[in-house]
Amino acid sequence: MGSPADRLPSDKGGRDVIAVDGLGIEFYRSRRRKLSLREIVLRRENTAPKATFWALKDVSFTVGPGEAVGLVGSNGGGKSTLLKTIAGVLLPDEGEVTVSGGVAPLIELTGGFLGELSARENVLLTAGLHGLDRHEIAERFDEIVDFAGPQVRQGLDMPFRHFSSGMQVRLGFALITTLDEPIVLVDEVLAVGDRAFREKCYQRMEDLLSQGRTLFLVSHSEADLRRFCTRGLYLQSGRLVADGAMADVLEEYNASSA
Amino acid sequence: MFERYSRIWARRAILQTLVRRDLRVRYARSWLGYLWTIIDPLAMALIYFVVFAVIFKRPDAGHKPYFLFLIIGLLPWQWFNASVNESARALVAEAKLVRSTNLPRELWVIRVVVAKGVEFLLSLPVLLAFVIVYVIKGDTTLNWRLVFFPVAISLQFVLQTGIGLLLAPATVLADDTIRVVRIVLRMLFYGTPIIYTLNVAPEWVQIALWFNPLSGILELYRAGFFPQPLQTAPLVVGGIMSIGFLVWGAITFARMERAVLKEI
Repeated sequence: MGSPADRLPSDKGGRDVIAVDGLGIEFYRSRRRKLSLREIVLRRENTAPKATFWALKDVSFTVGPGEAVGLVGSNGGGKSTLLKTIAGVLLPDEGEVTVSGGVAPLIELTGGFLGELSARENVLLTAGLHGLDRHEIAERFDEIVDFAGPQVRQGLDMPFRHFSSGMQVRLGFALITTLDEPIVLVDEVLAVGDRAFREKCYQRMEDLLSQGRTLFLVSHSEADLRRFCTRGLYLQSGRLVADGAMADVLEEYNASSA
Repeated sequence: MFERYSRIWARRAILQTLVRRDLRVRYARSWLGYLWTIIDPLAMALIYFVVFAVIFKRPDAGHKPYFLFLIIGLLPWQWFNASVNESARALVAEAKLVRSTNLPRELWVIRVVVAKGVEFLLSLPVLLAFVIVYVIKGDTTLNWRLVFFPVAISLQFVLQTGIGLLLAPATVLADDTIRVVRIVLRMLFYGTPIIYTLNVAPEWVQIALWFNPLSGILELYRAGFFPQPLQTAPLVVGGIMSIGFLVWGAITFARMERAVLKEI
């Protein structure tokens, strides 16, 4: 392969938990949604512009168990696309992504919550969606609510849509981070909540790391990246241009984007 | 393909969670929520009874008693109608969840069909009540073919899952799908032997109706409640078509999944 990843040995020596090989993802420039039946019927073709671009192209790397990887790159570089592909909510057009073990995605934190139901019901149902069984949910329920904070506890039986957006995200974060999945994906969510809550989030992330989970972090905050990640990946226009120690990769990124 | 389906089977506990969530949302506001599942088909049955049996004086369009005949046709139709309408929107309506959870995507469709199916089962006490009344009055008798009732439910489930797997990705890729589905469903209501029986239709129409899989399915539903002989042609065609729809839907869904995930 000759990708830069080969030069960096996975520290724990175990099997790779994430293996990305020649990954490519192609998007349409115009929303294909605009494709209408009228056009198909009347002109027998789809007149939407066929122009496409590769959000990711020829990306290859592997991640060993317990590694903490930070993803850097400017907007539109393909960071979120890569994260979504690892989370399994996008499928590769080229190449292969192999993920062994479950993934706890801190991507769309409040995605599973429904406004009409109470916070309590939402936690029970969403935890179920992420694969916890009834016993596990009962065991962790208090822990989740405690982590989300006293405001959330007070409003447990109130419809979820009456929660402030900060409270909603807290509950989401608390829920996803109690999952046992060996891989944790984090997309820019550390910026949520007030300062006290952010500190709690940092603490929780460090706990997860010390338990040997594999972390994948997307952030524009250098401080966060330096704090959590040992290894950095730098994506530029969908291509992996650097893979190495976090500090080196950040340096390279800063140099090229300055 | 096989691997896909064993994955879905492995996640059936999540299916249960989703269905429970649907029902909870549906009945969260009040117990009137449940009443609506009953009132709707009753009101429809009443309308068709008045129009056909009272105004046009043709209660012989269906088996006797005509009102019972109508109810038995309308309850499964209601399931079909709601299930097709909502499964077409299954992925669009849950876009956020589809984007944030790595579940087999077919689950979003199956979940709608099952949730609507549970509502259908919950509406069956209405049927039971009318059956008791008519049996006591001596207007009808039950027979052993009642065993076909669950067969009809399974066949209808297969059919609707197939249709849902076809429509859900189509809706993501083209908004117009929903409108087309609505119009087709409205026409299909009259193109299904719900307010009439197969044999009152002219011969060429009958043959056309065999190719509506619901014709055969309704025959199965009714068999246990009426003495009329079972028509086998629509049954065979309907059974084959239902399974055909499921296979076609499953293949199409898998093929469109990649594009769907990008658009959603």
